Amino acid sequence: MRMPKHIWLALVGGLAGCDGRHSWLAGAGAEARLIEDLFWPFLIGAVAIWTAVMVFAVIAFRRRPKGSDERIGRAIILWGGGVLPAVVVAALLITGLLTLRAMASRPSALTVHVDAEQWWWRVIYETPDGKVFSANEIRLPLGKTTLLMLTSDDVIHSFWAPALGGKLDMIPGRTNRMTLTPVRTGRWGGLCAEFCGAAHAQMRFEVVVMEPDAFRDWLVAESEPAAPSALRMERGLSLFLDEGCAACHTVRGTQANGRVGPDLTHLAARGRIGAGLLALSDANLRRWITHTTDVKPGVRMPSYPAMPPDDLDQITQFLMALE
Amino acid sequence: MAAWQPPAGWRRISAVNNSLIGKWYLLTAFAFFGFAGVLALLIRTQLAVPDNDFLSMRFYNQVFTLHGTAMMFLFAIPIFEAVAILILPEMLGARDLPFPRLSAFGFWCFAIGGVFVCGSILFDAAPDGGWFMYPPLSSDPGQTGIGTDIWLLGLSFIEVASIAAAIELIVGVLKCRPPGMRINLMPLYCWYVLVVAGMILFAFPPLIAGDLLLEMERAFGWAFFDADRGGDPLLWQHLFWIFGHPEVYIIFLPSIALIATMLPALSRAPVVGHSWVVLSAIGVAFLSFGLWVHHMFTTGLPDISLGFFSAASEAVAIPTGIQIFCLLATLLVGRAKLSVPLLFAGGALAVFVFGGLTGVMVAVVPFDYQAHDSYFVVAHLHYTLIGGMLFPVFAAVCYWYPFVTDRVLSERLGRWSFWLIFAGFNITFLPMHWTGILGMPRRVWTYAEEMGWHGLNLTSTIGSYILAAGIAVLAFDVLRPKGRQSPAPADPWGAPTLEWAREVPRRPWGIRSVPVISSRYPLWQQPGLANEVLRGEWFLSDSPDADREMIVTDILDARPMFVQRVPGPGFVTILAAASLGAVFILATFHLWLAAVLAGAVFLVATLRWLWTGAGGLPSAPTRDCGRGLVLPLYASGNGSVGWWAMFITMIGDSTAFAGLVFAYVFFWTLHGSFPPPGTAPPAAVTLWLGTALLAGSWGMLVAASAAMSRRVVALCCCALAPLPAGAGVAVLAGAAWSAGLDPTRHAYDATVWVLTLWIGAHVAGGIVMQLYSWARLLARHMDADHDAELRNTVLYWNFLIVQAAATFALIGLFPLVSGGVP
Amino acid sequence: MRYPRIIDDGSVWIVIVPPLIWALHFLAAYWIAAVWCAREAGSLTPAAWSIIVLTILALVAISLIGRVAAVRYGGFTRPGRESAGDTQADRRQFLGHVALLLCVLNAAAVMMTAIPSVMFGRC
Repeated sequence: MRMPKHIWLALVGGLAGCDGRHSWLAGAGAEARLIEDLFWPFLIGAVAIWTAVMVFAVIAFRRRPKGSDERIGRAIILWGGGVLPAVVVAALLITGLLTLRAMASRPSALTVHVDAEQWWWRVIYETPDGKVFSANEIRLPLGKTTLLMLTSDDVIHSFWAPALGGKLDMIPGRTNRMTLTPVRTGRWGGLCAEFCGAAHAQMRFEVVVMEPDAFRDWLVAESEPAAPSALRMERGLSLFLDEGCAACHTVRGTQANGRVGPDLTHLAARGRIGAGLLALSDANLRRWITHTTDVKPGVRMPSYPAMPPDDLDQITQFLMALE
Repeated sequence: MAAWQPPAGWRRISAVNNSLIGKWYLLTAFAFFGFAGVLALLIRTQLAVPDNDFLSMRFYNQVFTLHGTAMMFLFAIPIFEAVAILILPEMLGARDLPFPRLSAFGFWCFAIGGVFVCGSILFDAAPDGGWFMYPPLSSDPGQTGIGTDIWLLGLSFIEVASIAAAIELIVGVLKCRPPGMRINLMPLYCWYVLVVAGMILFAFPPLIAGDLLLEMERAFGWAFFDADRGGDPLLWQHLFWIFGHPEVYIIFLPSIALIATMLPALSRAPVVGHSWVVLSAIGVAFLSFGLWVHHMFTTGLPDISLGFFSAASEAVAIPTGIQIFCLLATLLVGRAKLSVPLLFAGGALAVFVFGGLTGVMVAVVPFDYQAHDSYFVVAHLHYTLIGGMLFPVFAAVCYWYPFVTDRVLSERLGRWSFWLIFAGFNITFLPMHWTGILGMPRRVWTYAEEMGWHGLNLTSTIGSYILAAGIAVLAFDVLRPKGRQSPAPADPWGAPTLEWAREVPRRPWGIRSVPVISSRYPLWQQPGLANEVLRGEWFLSDSPDADREMIVTDILDARPMFVQRVPGPGFVTILAAASLGAVFILATFHLWLAAVLAGAVFLVATLRWLWTGAGGLPSAPTRDCGRGLVLPLYASGNGSVGWWAMFITMIGDSTAFAGLVFAYVFFWTLHGSFPPPGTAPPAAVTLWLGTALLAGSWGMLVAASAAMSRRVVALCCCALAPLPAGAGVAVLAGAAWSAGLDPTRHAYDATVWVLTLWIGAHVAGGIVMQLYSWARLLARHMDADHDAELRNTVLYWNFLIVQAAATFALIGLFPLVSGGVP
Repeated sequence: MRYPRIIDDGSVWIVIVPPLIWALHFLAAYWIAAVWCAREAGSLTPAAWSIIVLTILALVAISLIGRVAAVRYGGFTRPGRESAGDTQADRRQFLGHVALLLCVLNAAAVMMTAIPSVMFGRC
């Protein structure tokens, strides 16, 4: 039967649901919790109504007809089919609008621009000292409301970090605003929710929720040019420039100032590469450079399958030093 | 009655009888369903395990796009039309639909267009932008290749066929009812057909307008959806979803109609609350046009706007609830026996109610912020569509199978297929709700193991194969040869509706004689009626002229008005469909010259079709239909079916025009200044002159209609009317030209040009009709008493003049009052 | 022979008009809010007030039609009356009943449409 199956799923899924990095029910953001507060009553109400309708259907089918049935039938059409749904949907409408109002009225402490590209995320923090550029990883202070300014230049994307809140589309020619208020620290998953072409499935990001002090320190570090230790790796740097990486990528403090691809100034401080795809590690970085289009079909970055092993070592070391 | 015999041998394809066209339509739609179902299995197989490489990313994107497209446009909507063409005439005691050749034309358009769109996947050229084709992804030929053109043009072509069918069904329900079937006695099925066909008429044209704009942007670089040139991607979403949401109800309502028709027979009781069901059909039809933005809740529109659409999305649940409870009350009153159709109907109830409940959830805006574009929505939409449409259609297949084939389906296989389908469906789609809650977005070709979605996905995949097995069992039972089975009884279910007063074996003329109806359930409440019908004791049991004839009645009370002669088989409809298909297909590949040539063939074929149709002067002024009923054999003006068809066509046409007007006003709202600063609108005086010339042409036509008794005057008016019409269009285009408007520069220029183009194309059509009327007059196919073609032409021009005036007001006058002039 | 046209009888119009009033009210509300938010983007109060006025007008119009429909139907409730007979009076009653039900449904829908306009102070 279907009811027990649903409960079973709810139990098993619930375990994963509360822990999942991409789950609506992870409760990592105030906005997500507002929506979660809607979800459970909705679920219980839906199961109750569905069961009631089914029970009535079975009774209606089994019962021997009586003279009074037509009168009962009319009453049921009016009350069960008309009045009850009207009350339920009016209640749903008002509850939904109240939640919407609650979500809209949060003053923000920080502004972050997220600009979607095919198929990665440019992230720009607004600070009193100017803009700080980053990519594919969004760091947010715990307990503070952040205003996200969502834009896109190529096609429509949609910003979604389910654990923190709902989604909002990024539409060329428009700037959409959304607030997130993280309430649990940790690394949460995010992804593009609107089909945006070839590599849509692999356009992900991470939201890292930090204690406000740690966040402040991190933001200062992120605004600095690349680490001196990396810049001293002359061979890796010159390979990076010579192989054409610099045409698309920026590493502040070097001549690399391409804007087509993600800013790599502090690549090694991020958790993932390839727009949230692979965990940052030496091996994954090599795989990404040599098999880019296998790992992420459709990606704009060319593969370097024929790069000599020594060069690959050097360039990987350079990148891993960009902390 | 021999007139109704379809041709034999290979010439059978030229048949136009609704019994054949309906069957072909149905089989073709099910073939596309099978195709799209296989695509679904490919999708499920790919998603069964994480990081799967069973399908490539490129191919997967084509597969999911084509799955949605084919299920929606090639199965869900056509199946409504197919079933209606097959059973509506017989249910109305009519011999056929009023325009049999139009049915045939629609079917061939559908078949050609469907094969074109689906076949593209064999050449790795299928559309890959998702079935809602959002620009700017879809407007960039560099990112989405020829597949998108195939989608836009192929589907526009099929939509034309759908609208043709809708027109035919509306006229069929309004004018071809049996004598005495007043509007309060009309079967519920007919109400639903009327309502749904009406919805098609208002829902499809905006999409056709959108298709036109998007294809103009793709092929010629016109600026409609490009934000850098004053366009807006959201315009497409509005136009698409103004179609797309009513579309859901266009799919759902006819299926409820099928259940409402079967249930009285299966539970041996009339539907409780007949007028409540009619209320909910009409109520849903209107409310469903106020839901479209709920597909756009996450586009960043103001909260208050979202609120309006949330309100309508919730409100539509009220009439839907009434509908379902009317059926439940009928079950309560009746004495139902568990049969396979009832089993499927019960499955429909269980599944659809669940989908409806998740539907009112996603209609809550903040909830949709999470659910939108996730697998939760995938689950929701399959619950509503499969529960609301597929289960009822399968019930109908089992129920009407004896009607179409004179054989019955196996009860045992039916039960097997039901339980496999029901179990498979729930195993597939119930877990998907949770997959969505765990954050899986739709339209992803793969996912990583670390996401934690694989267990649920594997369950769904297993379920999908069980579901497919159930459908295979049903398909086997339907298709297996049943030669040795004895013919089914004429009315195996003891049903109350007229289609079961049939001859066994089935005959090509539909009903044997057309009875007078005086009750809602004639075969129950008018004892002996079936036998009288079969003995040919009622009207029109034969035609002395060996013509195909049917009785036309009035809309409210179904009083007989006249006898309509309908045309027989002909290849000209196939030629028309094929050449129109060629126009669209050639345009896809930018073979403009060949497309124009194909267009010329289409024009000639259509004119020949009309010329050789059954509209000429009748052999006698009246026909004796039997039992003392003598009816005229000719009608023109607003009593005739042709006039109504033209009227309804032009309503749909005006809706498409309204889509273009919407685009203009939408841009105006967006930009504040539209035309943009620095652009001067076309000179109002010149536009006025052009519109006045068009009005002059219209005036001459009206004069011709009024002067029909003086042949020479009418001839002259018809012959000269094209001159001011052509001049008027030239002046309008000149106004846009001399204002220096370049459609590739800015959305304003493009919108003005597309409106001008629209009027120009309609005037071209209007000129053809004027000349056609002139030729009919000249050939003496028309005279003072027989002027149907001319009056239809005048009706067309009435609408055209209103559109021209609206265009003038919009382009010429609106900028003056809205302060858009620099 | 002349037949009464559907326009002359008027019974079809009372069926179509209540949902049309809902549609016009809905479009007007949407339009007012969209233009207001595109131009002003500030306080919604004037827009909200005009929507409320429109709502009252729409409800008055629907109730007027409801009265006509009720007269045709022969009262507001006539339990068990199916209007399934073969007379002109039955047809009038039937369409009256459908129109009356549509009035109730669309009045509810109009009121639901008005709810958002009193719930949001800003765009």
